[in-house]
Order: sequence, then structure tokens, then C-alpha cells
Amino acid sequence: MGRAGGDIVSVMPLQGIRVVDMTHSWAGPHCTRVLADYGAEVIRVEFPGRLCMFRGGRVEDQAYDKQTNWYQINRNKHSVTLDLNESLDQGLLKDLVKCSDIFIENSRPGVLEKFGFAYNDLVKLNPTIVMLSMSAFGSYGPYTKYCAYGAVMEAVGGIQSLTAYGPDGKPQRICEMDVVNGVGAANAILTALLYREESGEGQRIDFSQTEFPTHALIGEHLLEHSINGSHRPPQGNRHHEFAPQGCYPCLGNDEWVALTIRCEEEWRGLCKALGQTGWLNNNELAKPEGRQHMHAELDAEISTWTRQRSPKDAMQLLQSHGIPAAAVLDVSELDSDPHLQAREFFLTEEQPPGQRFMGMPFHLSGIPEAVHWRGPDLGEYNAELVTKVLKRNEEDTPSFEAEKLCTAYD
Amino acid sequence: MSKQALSNIRVIDLTRFIAGPYCTKLLAGFGAEVIKIEMPKNGDGLRNVEPFYKNEQGVEHSIPFLWFNTGKKSITLNLKSSQGIEIIKRLVKTADVLVENFSPGVMMRLGLDYETLKSINPKLIMASISNFGQSGPYRDFKADEIELQALSGLMDNTGAPDMPPLAAGPALCQLTAAMHSHAAILMALLQRNRSGEGRYVDVSIMESSMEQIENRINTYLLTGKVSKRGPHIFAPWGLYGCQDGYVNVISAPFRHWENGAEIFEEPRLREHQFQHLRERVQHRQEIDALIQPWLDKKKKQQVFKAGQEKGLSFGFLANFDEVLDSPQHRERGFFKSVEHPAVGAQLFCDAPFKMSATPWHTAASPRLGEHNDVIFGSVLGYSDEERRQWAAQGVI
Repeated sequence: MGRAGGDIVSVMPLQGIRVVDMTHSWAGPHCTRVLADYGAEVIRVEFPGRLCMFRGGRVEDQAYDKQTNWYQINRNKHSVTLDLNESLDQGLLKDLVKCSDIFIENSRPGVLEKFGFAYNDLVKLNPTIVMLSMSAFGSYGPYTKYCAYGAVMEAVGGIQSLTAYGPDGKPQRICEMDVVNGVGAANAILTALLYREESGEGQRIDFSQTEFPTHALIGEHLLEHSINGSHRPPQGNRHHEFAPQGCYPCLGNDEWVALTIRCEEEWRGLCKALGQTGWLNNNELAKPEGRQHMHAELDAEISTWTRQRSPKDAMQLLQSHGIPAAAVLDVSELDSDPHLQAREFFLTEEQPPGQRFMGMPFHLSGIPEAVHWRGPDLGEYNAELVTKVLKRNEEDTPSFEAEKLCTAYD
Repeated sequence: MSKQALSNIRVIDLTRFIAGPYCTKLLAGFGAEVIKIEMPKNGDGLRNVEPFYKNEQGVEHSIPFLWFNTGKKSITLNLKSSQGIEIIKRLVKTADVLVENFSPGVMMRLGLDYETLKSINPKLIMASISNFGQSGPYRDFKADEIELQALSGLMDNTGAPDMPPLAAGPALCQLTAAMHSHAAILMALLQRNRSGEGRYVDVSIMESSMEQIENRINTYLLTGKVSKRGPHIFAPWGLYGCQDGYVNVISAPFRHWENGAEIFEEPRLREHQFQHLRERVQHRQEIDALIQPWLDKKKKQQVFKAGQEKGLSFGFLANFDEVLDSPQHRERGFFKSVEHPAVGAQLFCDAPFKMSATPWHTAASPRLGEHNDVIFGSVLGYSDEERRQWAAQGVI
């Protein structure tokens, strides 16, 4: 049975789709991870002259094949090494484009053009190719040549201005622009694939890594600002309407529980859970405005109660009184979380067997979920690319000299 | 209007609030016909959520509703009436996708579980979005956004190390689930093209949100190391004060740092311990102290441009006036004026990404029940008499 029920079927959603993955860092590779996890054949093209930053900063002892985050972000993919300064390798990439469905890149606009792999070049090789470019600010505009990592997209996009411990606090980062952009880019490709299957037409997607998370995360807040001329400042862990809401200290070091009271019923539940009969009889506190007014006093009492309990005990007790409450889990607690275990969320790598990995972000009935293999060794697919995919002679197999490899940190 | 990618897809949208509606907004913007089912009189609960247009409460005035429902059709239908359920089933026969985000178990109680709907339309894709998924011990737990951020591990990794975990300002978990639901539905449609069959989709907001910290979870699974909220692992890599706000100083791409650091007019930054990232991460405070005096003398735009001209990923913290007025957004037409009968012409973020052959389109969100006549009449073929009767009975 699949995790969402139904008998296992053999046809993966993206079966038969080949992806040329020219991306590096996180957002692009996250996009192609989503495609690979659901059945696409993703061929990651790597430049030996500057390895992806997720291959780390050392080349000794093949350290680039032993990076844990590489294993996760590039699982279920293949790796080939190509140096586009060499005409043989350019030719191999052209042949690969001819027999692929998707071409995705996240270089600065203009870089691939230099090597003859702009969209106009690709359609000559393959008229129905779908090309997605995911640069920091999009393929045109005054910022187009600027580069940005997630921190910059979050700040320049305005997203970061909504998160702080209070209205005047220093803005804090949220997790995680690269993943938001990766999923968004995958959805752009899936949309283009559906259209191609219906119409036979490929197309080009201009994906700005600043625009997408702005749209996804703060579209409603920008609309508020443009309509009403202002917007709500950061609230910390409080809620603009519901009260009390907060993150309360529990038994132990750095242990916390979050809770929210959204209605009178939940408020009465909280009074009972905490044994605060005095609150129950206070008419002012029956209303959210009254509780907002007394928020600091309520927080102090709630903290006294939570400090005597573990986050999970507090969560269970509050939930049993019908209150939205949650232990603040760290990554080790996610690993051992009974809910995730009951849902068999984590996956065990098939080859080599045994290592546990994150599961899938969503479940389709009848569709198997698997980490077939971890992020591949550098150039692991070079021979197959040439002989099996491109059906060329073995001597065209690309190779790299280990002593000439450079990292993104050099 | 240009052709659109999903114009032959019909979606029945039983979602409310955020996670479902942002997913179906994305489908609608690329051409799917999204038919939003709302309760008569009050509609989607989001219609009662502030902020409101000019701070005047009203069923057509909720700004979140106006944002999350662009391009959809709205019909009213009382799902607590047996006639309402019959009408939904008739609509299911004509649909490609049904999306819902009720509490787990509600669709079963309504007689609209997947097995029933599949028997009506075997090609239907049904997506259920819920806080914790359709199974497991937390299934029936209550949660608002902050609880979702707590249980998915995001909150423990947000904020300052000497402070409590911090909730993200945006509804990050619900929106992350929306994006993954969008992916799931598109995947299921592609799979249907290959197999001819519909699918059931289970999206847990908790699980899909965990993707946001995939590296941190994965590092724990592989090494046992627990990451916490704190500064970025690289240095410098953060938000610094300057004369008129905050700026990002990011020392990457790393190969550009050595030359780029000249802008700080601080010769000591050339010393060997600041040259390679390996050493820089050991000298965070020293670097911060060396760059801050220059930043204190400069404005946001100066720092941003100076760094970028050296090839470095510098930025600035934009406030919303600056975002709405951004020269980059202007040239790319990222904001678009959309006319709505109740609130007039307002500025919306337009395309989330630009597709050359099948572009995005932002159309106004629907008024409550705006499409009753066309859907109940033209699409489903019910008579005027039936519709009048149902309206009187509170069915529609």
C-alpha cells in the first residue's frame, strides 16, 4: 500500500521525463530533487572547475563525495561532469538537450548564453524543450545581473520585515527561501509539462527568486499595504487577534510549548487546564480584547504552569482540553516523533541500504516513495550518459582530473 | 487573453482560509477553472478575517480573502443539506480535481470520501490538506499557524540563540503546504496522463513544512548533530545596521570576497585570517567590528550597490513602500492593478513566475455566490425553478 492508500502502481508521475540540471547551490537542486523524487530522470551537470558549494570546500580524500547535505538535496539524481570550455563536452550537452524534456539553470543571466545554451539555442536542438531559468531577480530588469543568496532575496523582497521579536526588534530570518523557490520552480516546470503534453509546445520560464517568495509569503500583506497604506508590524510570538498566544518555557533547558486561544471555548479550556477558576469568572477575560490587555499577566501565569512540565506533557494536557498547543520540536525530536513514526514518514535508503532520510512532502495513493540512492558521486553517470543515454562511443566519456578540481570556496 | 496552461482543468475547491486557497489560486492563475464552494450567507471563514478594505468589515472586504481567491468562481452550497451533497456529486462527475482542507474525517461524514467520489468519477484527483495528515496520533490535534511551526521544527530554528524560538511572521507552514499541494495536484494530473487513473493526495502541513529545514533534519539523521537557531554558519553572512536601516553583507560568491572587501576601506581585512572562509568563521566578531564603521557611514542603497558591483551578494532590508516602488518590480510589471466591484482597482502581486507561452493572469476574487447562475444553470443544467426553491430552503 502507498502511504496515501491504494495499491502500488508502476507508473511514477514523472516517468519518462529527462531533466538536464545545470543548477548549483540549494534552490535549483531542491527543485530537481522534487522532480527526481517523483520519478524524473535528473542528470546533474557539474563543472569540475568549480564544484557546487554543497560539495564542500575540500577535494582531498574525495571529500566532495562525502557531504551530508549533498546526499539529501541530490538524492535520486545522476551526476555527470562537463566542462563547457571544451568543444567535446559542449557537443555532449547539445546531444543531451536533444533527448531531454527539461533544461533548468540558475546561473547569472547571460552566463549560459556565452556557452551557446540560451533558450534560442536550445529550441534549435529541441523544439519542445521546457527551459527554466531561476536567477536571483529574473532575466531582465535593472537588478538582473545582481546575485543573491536567500538572505538577500528575503530582505530585498520585503519578506524579512515581518519577522521580529516585536514591532521594533531586529528582523530575523525565516526558513527557508531556497526551499520555497525550489518548490515554486518545480511547480512551474510541472505546469509547463502539462501544457506540453496537451499542446506539443515547449516554452521558457523566467523565474525570479525574489518575486516567487514575495508572491507566496507576503502577497496578502503587500496588498494590505497598497490598499490601506500600512500593514501590521511584527508581533513576535503573539497574534494580532487571538490571545493569549505565545511560546512558553518548559521543564529543562531550551524546552518550549506554543499555544493559542482563538475563542471563548478554548479560553475556558485553558482556565480549566491551568486550574485558574478566577479567570473563568472574569468577564473581561472572556473577550479577546480583555485578554490582549492582560497578555503579560496571563503569560506569567501560563509560564509558571508550563515550567513544571515537559513540552510534550503540556501539549497533551492542553490538547485534551481542546486547546491548540504544540511542543517546540528540535530536529532530534522530529526523528523520534511518534506521529511521524506512525505515518512511516522517514525513508530508508535502498542503495547502500540502511541510512534514513526525510520522507516525501506529500503522498499520492498508489505511488511508491523511495530514496533509491543518496546524492551521487561526482561524475558517477559519465559513462552511462555517453553510452546509454546518448548512444555514443565510449571514448567520448567525459573525465576530470582529481588534482585540477576546484571548489566553490577556493 | 493568451492561452493558458491549465485551461482544460476543472477544480472543485472546498478549501477555506489559507493552505487550500493559495494552492487553488495558483491553479486558477494559470488557467484552471476553480469553482469555490462556500457556505450560503457567510462564505469562506476568511471573508471575516481582518484586515479589511478601509478597515470596514464586510463579506467582500477581507484583504486576505481578496488576495487568496483571485481568478476563482464562487458558488454557495450548504453541505449540511442532502441536496447540497447531491449537487456536489453532480459537479464531481465533470471535474478533474477536488481539493479540501476540512479536519480529517469531515469529508467521510459528509459522504464525500475518496472511495465514494472515485466511484462517481474514477479519473478524479482528490487532494486533502490537513494540519497533520489523515492518520497518526496528532491527526485530530488542534493547531493554528504557530503550533504548526512548533511541531514541524521550523520554530526551534528561527530567532536569536539567547531568545525563545520565534514564529515566522508570514503563515509559513500553511503557505508551504499550499505550494506542495499545488505540486501534488500537478504531479497527479501528469500521472493521470500516463495511467488514465485518478489519485488520492494526502498533504500534511507538518510534513510538508519540514522540507524547509531539510538540511538540518538530514544532518541530524546522518551525523546526530542538532542545529538550533543562531547565526549563519558562514561569515560574514548576515544583517547589519547602517545609516538608514539594515543591509545584508554576504561574503559570497566566496571568490569575490578578497577584492570585494576593499569597499570597507579597512586594510586589516586583508590579513590572512580573513582571507579564506575557513578562517573567517573563526573570527566573526573581529570581522563585524571591522566592517561596522564603514556601514555606519553609508545608506542602504549605497551598500547594496557597492557590494553588487564587486560581484558580492549584498542586499538591503526593504520596507513595503520600497518593495511597491522597486525599480526591478516596476520594469518587470510584478504589480498589477486589478478591479474588484466592492473595493475598486487595487495593486496585486501579479505572476509568481513568467511563462512565455502560457502566462499567468490575475483576475479579481469572486463575490460570494457570484457564479451560482452560470454553474448551477449552464454547467449543471438545473432549472430556474429548482434554483429558486433551493435558495428559499437555504441549500444555495
